[in-house]
Amino acid sequence: MEKAHKPKKVFIQGPISPDFVAKSIASHQSKTGIGAHAIFLGQIRADQKEGGPVTGIDYTAYEEMAEQAFYDIREAAFAKFELTCMHIYHSLGLVPTGEISLFVFVSSPHRRAAFEASEYIVEEIKANVPIFGKELIGEAGQHVWKENK
Amino acid sequence: MSFQVKYFGMLAEIAGLSDEVWNAAGGLTVGQFREQILDKYPAMREKKFKIAVNQRISEDFLLIETPAEIALLPPFAGG
Repeated sequence: MEKAHKPKKVFIQGPISPDFVAKSIASHQSKTGIGAHAIFLGQIRADQKEGGPVTGIDYTAYEEMAEQAFYDIREAAFAKFELTCMHIYHSLGLVPTGEISLFVFVSSPHRRAAFEASEYIVEEIKANVPIFGKELIGEAGQHVWKENK
Repeated sequence: MSFQVKYFGMLAEIAGLSDEVWNAAGGLTVGQFREQILDKYPAMREKKFKIAVNQRISEDFLLIETPAEIALLPPFAGG
């Protein structure tokens, strides 16, 4: 039976900085059972819409339900893959184009589990976590609501 | 009966608020509640959304039992 993991803080206000990603990597140097990290970073794309390019996404969430959904994804991933540790961070609020809104970081003794777990986690987040994104367009204050495919 | 309703994303935009107290005459299923919502906010008829009862996405046949927190969830956009 997989032991239960404590819920972790997932949401970060605004963009996730490259410095935060770097520090997260560095903090795993003492965990010498790890042989492979896989990192997925979601970046805001400047899609072209009527009215101009996307300049950023303003994220909101049903936070209590989202935190439970993240917890369930973590538990499922630990049960499915041989992982040493796992970190998930997602932005709330405004993230400008070109900046990072999702940081998934999994570590394992071996590469295969790390690759597979990172893909699994990202797909689960996109399908099952109640996060909403308002894509801001052009200079005139227009917006459209993003929808995951 | 009465319960709390939360709106998110484009649905909060349509409703013009992010939460309100919903008063209903008698017992209500999720499907009946959906009809009442669409009567109050006809613009939501064109939108896709799911209804969560106490943070679980629920089928239309489920009977709402108070106290309940209902949330209208438009398509997810995380990532």
